[in-house]
Amino acid sequence: MSQSLEAKVEPEVVLDWINKIGSDSSSTVPLLQAVQSKYGYLPRVAMDLIIQNSDISGSQVYGVATFYSQFRLKPVGRHMIRICHGTACHVTGADRLDTSLRHILNITDEEQDTAENGSYTIEQVACIGCCSQAPVLVIADEVSGNLTGANAQRALKKHAKKNEEIVANI
Amino acid sequence: MEANNLNVIVGEGTCGIAAGSKEVIEAFRKHAPEMNIRTVGCVGMCHQEVITEINDGNGNRHIYGNVTKKTVPSIIKFHKGEGDLPEDQLIFSPDNQDLDKWRYLAHQTRIALRNVGYLDPTSISEYQARDGYKAIKKILADMTPEQVIEEVKISCIRGRGGAGFPTHVKWNFAKQSEGDIKYLICNGDEGDPGAFMDRSLLEGDPHNVIEGMLIAAYSFGASKGYAYIRAEYPLAVKNFGKAIKDAHELGVLGDNIQGTNFSFDIKIKEGAGAFVCGEETALIASIEGDRGMPRFKPPFPAIKGLFGKPTIINNVETLANLPWIINKGGKAYASHGTEDSKGTKVFALAGAIKKGGLVEVPMGTKIRDVLEDIGGGSSSDKPLKAVQLGGPSGGCVPENLFDTTIEYAAINATGAIMGSGGMIVMDESTCMVDLSKYFLSFTQNESCGKCTFCRIGTLRMRELLSKICDGHGEMEDIEALEELTEQIKKSSLCGLGQTAPNPVATTLKYFRNEYEAHIKDKRCPAGVCKSLITHTIISTDCTGCSLCEIQCPVNAITGQKKVKGSYVIDQAACINCGMCFEVCNSKAIKVE
Repeated sequence: MSQSLEAKVEPEVVLDWINKIGSDSSSTVPLLQAVQSKYGYLPRVAMDLIIQNSDISGSQVYGVATFYSQFRLKPVGRHMIRICHGTACHVTGADRLDTSLRHILNITDEEQDTAENGSYTIEQVACIGCCSQAPVLVIADEVSGNLTGANAQRALKKHAKKNEEIVANI
Repeated sequence: MEANNLNVIVGEGTCGIAAGSKEVIEAFRKHAPEMNIRTVGCVGMCHQEVITEINDGNGNRHIYGNVTKKTVPSIIKFHKGEGDLPEDQLIFSPDNQDLDKWRYLAHQTRIALRNVGYLDPTSISEYQARDGYKAIKKILADMTPEQVIEEVKISCIRGRGGAGFPTHVKWNFAKQSEGDIKYLICNGDEGDPGAFMDRSLLEGDPHNVIEGMLIAAYSFGASKGYAYIRAEYPLAVKNFGKAIKDAHELGVLGDNIQGTNFSFDIKIKEGAGAFVCGEETALIASIEGDRGMPRFKPPFPAIKGLFGKPTIINNVETLANLPWIINKGGKAYASHGTEDSKGTKVFALAGAIKKGGLVEVPMGTKIRDVLEDIGGGSSSDKPLKAVQLGGPSGGCVPENLFDTTIEYAAINATGAIMGSGGMIVMDESTCMVDLSKYFLSFTQNESCGKCTFCRIGTLRMRELLSKICDGHGEMEDIEALEELTEQIKKSSLCGLGQTAPNPVATTLKYFRNEYEAHIKDKRCPAGVCKSLITHTIISTDCTGCSLCEIQCPVNAITGQKKVKGSYVIDQAACINCGMCFEVCNSKAIKVE
């Protein structure tokens, strides 16, 4: 993972969340959600700031962060691609969306989910509740449905063009 | 007709947006800026999104389906009196209310979904215009909490989240338990992949859910409510948040509602993605900020729940039925359905079905009627094979049991469960062993890990299923799967583990021949399992278009462009991903 994707965390922003959301253990999930919605993942610095400035213990923070599938500890690319792997999407070919997008983003290593140039991160999600349009994916915040591998690539190319991102294998 | 007297109503649920509603609205603004545009939630006909209604204010409605930015001008022209009726897109008009497309809705009995797709979810006044907040005003003026519970008892409604526990019994437990403060949680986590009725209700008719929460809260004395909504449903979170704010301003939420001493407020908690949080005690742990791990019951949440206080958790769909039940009476609700199961149930139709979407039918309807009369049957040329009910906790019902009536006991007898109402329809192109592997991977991932049999047992089951799908299965593996099914069911603390083996159990029961084909013949009859299939190009059908070569992610296809029959697949390099099959226009790719 390239170092440049690590987010710069401003301590005062995190302290402000602790003030607003709460500093007891029942605030763990919403605090981590706030961190992730800003940085796209949970930077270690932000987690440490929470542990040092609230009543929430380290084991609580890390226990929660690793339990829920929403949270991730690795940095993300500039844009998120969420590929739905709900049942309807599975039986209608979600796998092909994965294969085709990994192909054009040149993400070959199975352990890797972000393109080398830091443009896109592919994430598999359990269900986005759009089953009647399966298979479905979300690029940034835009949902597209009834996809084949080939038109998933078209959707990504369109997004890349608009956002001046370079997609490796076109 | 004057265009400035016309209203345009565009369906803008998540499914409408996925189909391109934003572009459609933009096209209307561009081509007919004088028209009034409003947006509504998804009416349930997701297969015809984007759905657009044009009406003239005198109640004359024209509804169109599959609208795109390109077809908007022809619709506008017709309504300005300048062109012909775009008939192929018409779903409903004053002159034609019997179109095949319209029958999708006409065959339904909509109680929970009665407003979705008809009102602007961000407008509290539109909700009020459809009897909104009438029920809570009625109970605050005329009914005691006991009378509310009695009315719900008469309706016989059972929890629509999956387990089907009688709603009034649950409330009575909480009513009788002691506590200075009591909580009501609306479970909007909808973890079942394949079900999306809660999303549709939360984003398309949030006030109805809030009013349902008010009714429930009043009945057993809750003063605080939580709406636990999946973070994957951003539109639901947004619309529900706005609805809470508006309900406050109207004085139906907050302190001393309608001048009485009943106070109730709602906070949204976004779920963080954990299927196990469908279990009540796990959901409570999650709201408390912990890992969503279930705990032993008793004490039941109704006695000792959130922060140690009496707590009731109701599903979104259950709550959405309550205002109707109070307004029309429990008897009216119970007049639908069967002896065992009263009222209506919403189903989410998806998969190999022509008309996918949301369907609300009276209990007692046959599965076949839902799939064929409403759903329009198979979407491919292939016949239907099975329907998966109840998600990862449920099972597959084969085609020869499609005459089963939709009621709790009859569905349970097939080995599936009603669940929250996801119906994934499958034709011959779905491999039942692969599907079981899919569900087991899901439950294994989602197991909280507390119980050994759930944590390790589901992993072992998944490994066995992978082994079979990879062509290394042995007949003993089937026995091992059956043994694990029993053990995991018996030894798990919560519903996740107790039901996790169900998809395997039902597919083994009804589709054992497919398991045997994988094991004995090393063959995947559906052509899905990658290790057991090959892709080849039929040279006589190949047109030399090169699409397969371009799409192949591993460069396994070579040939000469524009030379018919020149393309071949290098079997050693091929990963059987199916991309070539998908893009080939001349059906020259053979999967065996």
